[in-house]
Amino acid sequence: MSADTHPLIKYTRSQVTRTSNCPGCGNGIVIQAILRAIDELGLTMDDFVFVAGIGCAGWIPSPLFAADTLHTTHGRPIAYATGIKMALPHKRVFVASGDGDLSAIGGNHLIHAARRNIDLTVVLVNNGIYGMTGGQTAPTTPRGLTTVTSPYGNMEHPFDISSLVAAAGASFVARWTTYHPRQMTKSIKKGIEKKGFALIEALSQCPVQYGRASKLGKAVDILKYFKISSVRISKALTMEPSELEGKLIVGEFVDIDKPELSESISLMRKQIEGE
Amino acid sequence: MIKGKGVSTGTHFMMGNVACAEGAIAAGCRFSAGYPITPASEVFNELCTRLPAAGGTMLQMEDEISAVCAAIGASWSGLKSMTVTSGPGISLMQENIGFAVATETPLVIVDVQRLGPSTGVPSVGLAGDMVQVSRGSHGDYQIIGLCPESPQEMFDLTIRAFNLAEQYRVPVFVLADGFVGHMRERVVIPEEKEIVLAERKITQGGEPMTRRDFLDTDVAPMPVFGRGFKAHVTSSCHDERGMRNLSDPEVMHRYITAPIQKILRHRDHIVEVEADYEGARIVLVSYGTVSRSARSAAIMARSEGLGVGTLRLKTAWPFPDKEVRQAAESAAYILVLENNSGQLLPYIKAESAHASKVEFLGPEILGQIHDPKYILARIRELMK
Amino acid sequence: MGKITIFRESCKGVEDCGICIFVCPKKILVESDEMNPAGYVPPEVTDEVLCTNCQSCMIYCPDFAIVVEKPVEGGSDTEEAEDD
Repeated sequence: MSADTHPLIKYTRSQVTRTSNCPGCGNGIVIQAILRAIDELGLTMDDFVFVAGIGCAGWIPSPLFAADTLHTTHGRPIAYATGIKMALPHKRVFVASGDGDLSAIGGNHLIHAARRNIDLTVVLVNNGIYGMTGGQTAPTTPRGLTTVTSPYGNMEHPFDISSLVAAAGASFVARWTTYHPRQMTKSIKKGIEKKGFALIEALSQCPVQYGRASKLGKAVDILKYFKISSVRISKALTMEPSELEGKLIVGEFVDIDKPELSESISLMRKQIEGE
Repeated sequence: MIKGKGVSTGTHFMMGNVACAEGAIAAGCRFSAGYPITPASEVFNELCTRLPAAGGTMLQMEDEISAVCAAIGASWSGLKSMTVTSGPGISLMQENIGFAVATETPLVIVDVQRLGPSTGVPSVGLAGDMVQVSRGSHGDYQIIGLCPESPQEMFDLTIRAFNLAEQYRVPVFVLADGFVGHMRERVVIPEEKEIVLAERKITQGGEPMTRRDFLDTDVAPMPVFGRGFKAHVTSSCHDERGMRNLSDPEVMHRYITAPIQKILRHRDHIVEVEADYEGARIVLVSYGTVSRSARSAAIMARSEGLGVGTLRLKTAWPFPDKEVRQAAESAAYILVLENNSGQLLPYIKAESAHASKVEFLGPEILGQIHDPKYILARIRELMK
Repeated sequence: MGKITIFRESCKGVEDCGICIFVCPKKILVESDEMNPAGYVPPEVTDEVLCTNCQSCMIYCPDFAIVVEKPVEGGSDTEEAEDD
């Protein structure tokens, strides 16, 4: 006797029988991490509205998840999600998109949503490159890497997205790699439960574009790189800057409570009603 | 600023922009996202006080792009939703206006137009966006555009805009300008129960794969978020169920044509004009604030025994082709009056030139509405 | 001890993926001999008895293609699932 089906399939649309991700793509690991978080929290898909951006990571919820899904224009899922949350404050509004969508064209909306501390959960899949359009430089591409738009080597410095969003005022910031799906699930659960802006940055393998540009190679090779290079924040705080060169710092960086926007607006409205 | 909680029934001496905000509240708008821009800011400022008092939400966003996106998100979540801006803001919003059209989102966009191009003169009214709102986004599509000529119409046509947006699941533009936005006039706001409102059709539910959520030329019921409909909403080419389809040419064809036909098939219901040209030799065609000058000029001309009539386009889009053609076929001259260098002129000409001579008269100085005497002088010349 | 099911049609193959093989602590997954209809070669289990039910292969698989469960000892599958 064998299992009829994967336990998380019940959260997906039945007519979507396979994802369009490349073989070995980290998106699939993130998909499971998200669905496992929802499952373990005992929530249903109808508790959520998913908002996806443009890029490979936007295909995480769209069309796979059996839930209300809005697949937006490039860079804008957080802006759309803000309107959705304001109108449906009791729903979990969940954004899934990539580093190009959310920190390049969408960078302004990312930092302002964090600043407003609006109750959104954002899984930002960071693969260090523009995968869907063929391997162009992203704001997260390491300096020196050769890509299709930096054929002489990338001369820019990459964002540290988690630091950026923490500085902008988010209530919860965590970063994991796809080598850490269990920890990622835990942080996603915390992010969903957090009443405030929650970012989970998921460093993820893009074997086709990033693997080629970085010469790291296949999915398994990039996962090996994630395993060797990642350092927990608790350990990193005890290390010298020189020891941290080239390391990927992972863990939960911010977990605070501060007034959240939709709740503040709700309170204000009650006050006005009473007048 | 009015500080009430509901419809501000009564007779007021009110600024056009404020009347627009009052119209939105009376129409049932419960979400507005905006960004400050002259000469539109007063609409949004007023909404910031009035909307929360009416149980709604306003949000000042970081730019116009996020403003229109948040408004679309709120509309998909079940609220009557709007944004307010001027020409430069419309330019920024274009990509997402296209998103609203493609996803058939009810949305009201108030455009208090100003003098361009580019930064131009923020406080001077000029009908600079008449074509931008219709063709500024990429691709083929139809939207609705209404042209108020007075603070009263800023109230009335804003309500009409919400009704049309809800009925046709489409962005509707209120094409004001800095003059009507900032002028103060008498505005009569009726009792709440006298105001006729339209509500969007919402889906009854059922399986997402068998429902028709999009691409119905008689308007598909909307699978609003948060009610378990498991809607899939994308501005990628999609089928009737909202599922992406980038390979079937029939689907690509319907994706473009169905939303267009949804508007054009109902144009008789949507288009409104004010026609007063019985027996006239010259018809003055205008819209918005210029119509006030046109009317004055026509009255003066008639008092001199000259056969002059007016055709006021209360709706700019879908373009009132039939109505313009009718006027052209009954007169000898169409004199187009616009406070710009002739944005609707080509559309008017296309419907008129076979039957009438078409002339254009901009204001003596662009950005200053036509002096009626200036129009009258031109009428006299044409009559010779 | 775990019971492993591989959904061969969902798998995107050992050559470019193979993540399950990489994460299995007992090294009991290897490339199989046969392609699936999409042209990918899925893995197969060598010695299921050695499976510890760590579920890593299931958690890491990007394509919902491998499931690991506690094995059934008589009774129905559904009962077992409820006990879990």
